[in-house]
Amino acid sequence: MNSVIKDMVLEHKEDITDSWLKEISKFRSDDMLQNISDKMYENTNLEFVNILILTVQKTNEELEHDELIQFVEKLIQIGWPLNYITRGLQEFRKACVEIISNREENSHNNLEFFKKIEDWIDDIVNLLVTQYSGSWENTVFLQKMALKELSAPLIPVFENISVMPLIGTIDTERAKLIMENLLEGVIEHRSQVVLIDITGVPVVDTMVAHHIIQASEAVRLVGAKCILVGIRPEIAQTIVNLGIDLGKFPTKSTLKKGIESALELTQREIVELKK
Amino acid sequence: MRIPILKLHDYLLISVQVELDDQTALQFQEDVLEKIHEEGSRGVVIDLTSVDMIDSFIAKVLGDVVDMSNLMGARVVLTGIQPAVAITLIDMGIVLDDVPTALDLEQGLDRLQLELED
Repeated sequence: MNSVIKDMVLEHKEDITDSWLKEISKFRSDDMLQNISDKMYENTNLEFVNILILTVQKTNEELEHDELIQFVEKLIQIGWPLNYITRGLQEFRKACVEIISNREENSHNNLEFFKKIEDWIDDIVNLLVTQYSGSWENTVFLQKMALKELSAPLIPVFENISVMPLIGTIDTERAKLIMENLLEGVIEHRSQVVLIDITGVPVVDTMVAHHIIQASEAVRLVGAKCILVGIRPEIAQTIVNLGIDLGKFPTKSTLKKGIESALELTQREIVELKK
Repeated sequence: MRIPILKLHDYLLISVQVELDDQTALQFQEDVLEKIHEEGSRGVVIDLTSVDMIDSFIAKVLGDVVDMSNLMGARVVLTGIQPAVAITLIDMGIVLDDVPTALDLEQGLDRLQLELED
C-alpha cells in the first residue's frame, strides 16, 4: 500500500473513526439490526473500523489471512446483513476522503490520491462480498443436498412390493432422480409392484404427469408394475382438464387401496385373524 | 456372432451375453423364428441382464421379434432390462408397448406361464 496514504490515514485515525461511527449509526434502523443491544452494536462498530484502518498497512496477500476475514466470518455466523458491511465500507471511504482532503493541503483535488483510496477500499469490498456470497452458496449447496436426500426414497413394504412417497414440487432434476432411484430400487428389492404415492405433490401439471408416465414406463421395462396412488379430487380434475392420458397404467385414490391391489397382483391378500 | 438359443420343454431361453450390433440382431431375429418353427415352442424368454446399451435399431428389432413370434403363436417375455437401458429407451421415446417384461429369468418364466394360461 502506498506509504503516503498509509501515513495520512494513520495520522487521522481518530477523526476518521469518529466520523465513521457517526455516519454508520444513522443506518442502524434500516439494517434490521434493531434487536441487537446498543453495547454490542457499538463494540462491533468499533472493532470493524479499527480493523479497517489497520488494513491500510497490509498487502493484498496479507489481507486474505487478516483478522478482517475472521471478523466477517463472525458477522456471517451471527447473521448480520451484508448491507451492514457494504454500507460501512462506503461510509468509511467517504470519511477517509473527506477528512484527509480537508486536513492535508497538498493532497487536495489530487486524482491520484482518490484513486489510491478507491483501490484500497475496493479490494476490501471485493474480499468481503466474496466471503459473504461464498457462505451463502455453501448454505444453498448444503440445503440442496439435504433436499436431495429427502427427495425420492423407495420403501419396501412387503415382499415384492415397494412404495415411493413423493412430497413437494417435482422439477426435471428431481424427476430424473426419482426415475433412477425407482429403477435401482426395483432391481435391489426385486419388487414386482411399485406404488408411487403423489398425495404430497401439490400440483400435477403436464410436465409432472409426463415425468410420472415416463418413470412408470421405465419401471415396466425393467419388469415391474407401477401403480399411481394418492390422487386427490383436485388432482383428478386437473389431469382430466389438461387432457393427460393416464389410462395406460392403474391408478388408485389412496395408498391403502393401492396396496390391496398390489397384493392381489402378487396373489396375496390381507385376512383378519379369527380369535 | 450368433446368440445361443436354448430349448426347455415348451419354451426357448435366450440369454444375450454380447453387445448387440445391427448384424447380430438381424441374425438373432432370424434364428429365433427358425427355432420357434422347428421346435413348435409356445413361449420365449429373452434375458437382457448383461446388455448395457440398446439403440433405436436394436429396440426396433427386439419389438419386431416379439410381434413376429406372437404371429407364430409364441409369447415372448423380455427380462432383466437394466435401469440405464430403460432410461435410454424412454428418453428415445421407445416404449415397447405390448411387450411383457419381468425382473429376471425366474419371474420371466412365471410371467410366461401366466400369459399362456390366459
